[in-house]
Amino acid sequence: MLERFMNMDRRIIFILIALVVIIPTLIPIRLPITVSEPTQKLYDYIDTLPSGSTIMIAFDYGPSSLAEPEPMAKAVMQHCFSKGVKVIGMTLYANTPTLAHKLMRRIAAENKAVYGEDYIFLGYRPGALQVILGMGTNIANVFETDYEKTPITEIPMMQNITNYDQIALLLDLAAGSTTGAWIVYANTRYGLKIAAGVTAVIIAQMYPYLQTGQLIGLMPGYLGAAEYEKLLNVAGGDGTVGLNTASYAHLLIIGLVLLGNIAFFVHRRKEA
Amino acid sequence: MKRQVPLALCFLFGIVMILTQFVPHKYVQALYKEFIDWGLIISPFALVLAVITLIQTHTTRVRRRTEHWQYSFLVFAGMIIMVCVGVPFGEQDSVFVWLYDNVQVPMDATMFSLLAFFIASAAFRAFRARSFEATLLLVTAMIVMLGNIPIGDLVWNKVMSWTPWADGASGARQWILDVLNSAARRGIILGVSLGVISQSIRIILGIERSYLGGGD
Repeated sequence: MLERFMNMDRRIIFILIALVVIIPTLIPIRLPITVSEPTQKLYDYIDTLPSGSTIMIAFDYGPSSLAEPEPMAKAVMQHCFSKGVKVIGMTLYANTPTLAHKLMRRIAAENKAVYGEDYIFLGYRPGALQVILGMGTNIANVFETDYEKTPITEIPMMQNITNYDQIALLLDLAAGSTTGAWIVYANTRYGLKIAAGVTAVIIAQMYPYLQTGQLIGLMPGYLGAAEYEKLLNVAGGDGTVGLNTASYAHLLIIGLVLLGNIAFFVHRRKEA
Repeated sequence: MKRQVPLALCFLFGIVMILTQFVPHKYVQALYKEFIDWGLIISPFALVLAVITLIQTHTTRVRRRTEHWQYSFLVFAGMIIMVCVGVPFGEQDSVFVWLYDNVQVPMDATMFSLLAFFIASAAFRAFRARSFEATLLLVTAMIVMLGNIPIGDLVWNKVMSWTPWADGASGARQWILDVLNSAARRGIILGVSLGVISQSIRIILGIERSYLGGGD
């Protein structure tokens, strides 16, 4: 019996995972969320920005990992537009412009933000480090036009923006190692303030930067998105729904690991 | 000549770029801006090289009939279709966007989603407290996972309400990330950084030449 359990067919585990993902997504159960300090810091920073300030969002993730960063982008952009903070979008990933452009358009439409006045999307340029360093001297040198091929010099919200000196914050929504590059090249070289919203798998890598103040805030995966939504009083946002689903998947994995270990110890004692 | 010129260029640009980080003089900074512009011009060529390498790799796979060589035709088909649609009509063309939204996004998302199933199965089979180190890893992982989800604090506040700590699950997770994890990560970052500095010096001085290809 124990051996059968320990060698359980993996298809049973697959079915269990499918069920704990599908059911909470279809029937959302509201769970209490405690806002962590890194998310609170990011929220507070954006909340205290004066109207008319500009932040930059780097959509540094691909379609494979969009589930976590997209709710973060949505929550932060919603916050910015409600405060009158302008948003510049760009990406260091070659396969993300279509995704990010569509997302920005959708969120802007929901918040009645106007393209070119409240937000723009610059798109992608190859050579991540050169792009980060190049924008520090002159954004127009790197992006002569925005994603929609309008010259930067003709876009109203870019009239008073030359380089990082006019950007209040860079929020890197990342699924890889780009946050490190932004910190090393944009923060250290140009003093640009950096915050990050990262997928759960790379949260642990961000904490040293958070402690040194090189990151002013951090949204950790679904949890960060759900926390930001709570701060904005958004009920049933994508982050909250995602966190609920992830919660049950986490619980299932914890339960399976615990049961597996109990069976392992009982089996070992019997054998001894 | 084939080796001397790249080595000399590497030395020259390496030294100048180091100087630009420490010398604030306007001429040095003008040089820095100039080099960044050069870098921006050179970078797209890396993409061209990547595409050529990809084509070469898959052509070789087809020619040698290696395992699953048939899939290489899918790579070529995907590449040709996206180039034929994207280059003449642009990224915002409705056909390009449709292909991106309905082919690339679902396929990428599917591949990543499958991880959840495999991780669950692998965790069940491999996460066993066989030794002290494995037990430590197991306990830490359980605490961090519980602290990552609202249910962790919910259960803690119900079951452990007699303790002076509210939200103990997320508190313990935060402590592990802030203290234990940060200490270890900082050590790794320092080690990697020192390695990068020493390797950079070796490359600039021409001691490390493997980037040129060949044996020496």
